[in-house]
Amino acid sequence: MSAPPSLAVRVRLPLDRFALDVDFETTHRVTGVFGVSGAGKTALLETVAGLRRGARGEVRLGEEVWLDSARRLRLPPERRHVGYVPQDSLLFPHLDVRGNLCAGRGRALSGGHDFAKTFAAVVRVLDLEPLLGRAVATLSGGERQRVAQGRALCSGPRLLLLDEPLASLDAALRSKVLPFLHRVQAEFALPVLLVSHDPAEVQALCEDLVVLREGRIVARGEPRAVLTRPEVFPLARREGGFENVLPGVLVETRAESSVVRLGRGPDGPALTVPRAAAAPGGSVLLAIPADEIMLALERPAGLSARNVVPARVEAVQAVGASRLVSARVAGDAPPLVAEVTADALAELHLAPGTELFLLVKASAVTLYEDGG
Amino acid sequence: MSEAALEALRSTLAWAALATLLVMLPGTAVAYVLARREFPGKKVVSTLFSLPLVLPPTAVGYLLLRLFAFDGPLGRRALGFDLGVILTWKAVVIACAVMATPLVVRTARVSFEAVDPRYEDMARTLGHGRLATFLRFTLPLSARGLLAALILGFTRAVGEFGATIILAGNIPGRTQTLATAIFSAQQAGRETEANFLLGIALVAGFAAVFAAESLAPRQAAVPGRR
Repeated sequence: MSAPPSLAVRVRLPLDRFALDVDFETTHRVTGVFGVSGAGKTALLETVAGLRRGARGEVRLGEEVWLDSARRLRLPPERRHVGYVPQDSLLFPHLDVRGNLCAGRGRALSGGHDFAKTFAAVVRVLDLEPLLGRAVATLSGGERQRVAQGRALCSGPRLLLLDEPLASLDAALRSKVLPFLHRVQAEFALPVLLVSHDPAEVQALCEDLVVLREGRIVARGEPRAVLTRPEVFPLARREGGFENVLPGVLVETRAESSVVRLGRGPDGPALTVPRAAAAPGGSVLLAIPADEIMLALERPAGLSARNVVPARVEAVQAVGASRLVSARVAGDAPPLVAEVTADALAELHLAPGTELFLLVKASAVTLYEDGG
Repeated sequence: MSEAALEALRSTLAWAALATLLVMLPGTAVAYVLARREFPGKKVVSTLFSLPLVLPPTAVGYLLLRLFAFDGPLGRRALGFDLGVILTWKAVVIACAVMATPLVVRTARVSFEAVDPRYEDMARTLGHGRLATFLRFTLPLSARGLLAALILGFTRAVGEFGATIILAGNIPGRTQTLATAIFSAQQAGRETEANFLLGIALVAGFAAVFAAESLAPRQAAVPGRR
């Protein structure tokens, strides 16, 4: 797969309470924009899509210039070739599911796409076949999201814009939609710009993360590294807390629980987690809230927590009254971040290199199937 | 007697239909602009288009008469030729069209306002230009309301009296409508004829309003609704 075209966004757009004022360029396949509600995330997506007339500055995708105020150039939305998936789906109520999927057919055809082939691929990847004849009003939330994503993909876009693709869904639905998003990434070599207020969502989906606060970029980089930074972590905590999102492989499923090996390789520690529906051998994503991980210097005995994982401290970071301890476990999984109080840290004498045990209750782990 | 009454009914329906069609296209365009755009003087424009609703119809008729009179802005002296409007069927159509305009514009505007503009944004991002977006998304999404506007406009045109009688007169067989025929019959004491015409008006009016009521815009076009 060739590298995606670079997306450059340098825009200023006055909003109600502040101005959106961003400047970033990305060549990653999936770039996330993280921020609390009202940080200007949707305005940013709409600016890229060409739906905000007041935006000044520059928007480029590869060689294509979509907005260049200096040259008085502003391509209308219909000529920008974006696939926009708004948070509330915005499916056309006067069309059925098939009609919605075909709403961008003209653009796909004029862009030289084989519409029938794309349509078939989208229906297969997003599992839309059973929905095709349904009226939009009869769809569930997760189905609406999938149809909206399918509609965007069918229109032959060069850039996919996703607004909180999982946020409006409950935990059960998330675990259903997430694998579809991973399959979309795998099958359609499309750059994606995604906005979200959900720390777990951006970690699960993004390679590159921009953090937005009151319209301005306050941090930028690899998602888990960015989210654990002192200036960003409080934002993540406000949105339900930072969760470690880690890859894993399902090893076996028992009557009451499942066992997952952390990381993609064979050496990761095994974790007992809530019972999963996936078949053994399948890849999964685990989400473990940072404040649900306890630390112990010695292997505790007589403990209710199902998981006691040996680890080594890599870094310790101060965030307000809390301390974030990054600890690496065996295998190829990224380090886990645990949130402890400053007092606890002082008592344990934790420093980089300290060997310790991570204690995790099985019920604290959320499991997502990973279609990738 | 009923021969003449039926003739009046036939002409009335034909003229009202023509007047409604004449109003629908520009009326819908004006309604869309009023629903979607902000511009200086918007309130003035919107008031002007509602004016025939509040003026006495005879005042509107007289205004039209001045407009098409020999020395009016659309009269023979200004144009150099005669449009041949006054006291003809064209006058009926024009009077009905003007009187129907407020209902058409107001109803159409409300039905456009009931369509979330984000659907139009969505259509644009899918590659549709402004016109295609309007024709393929806005119109179908507001179809019920527009149909209601059409029926209300038509009903108003059918019932028009004041402006018609001033601009077109009340000439049996030439410019007489259902409304003016009832007036004539009542004035001349032809009670049976008046009753017959009244019956027709009642049935037609009930049917039209009933149809319009059942077509009024629902909340179908609100996003996020399941």
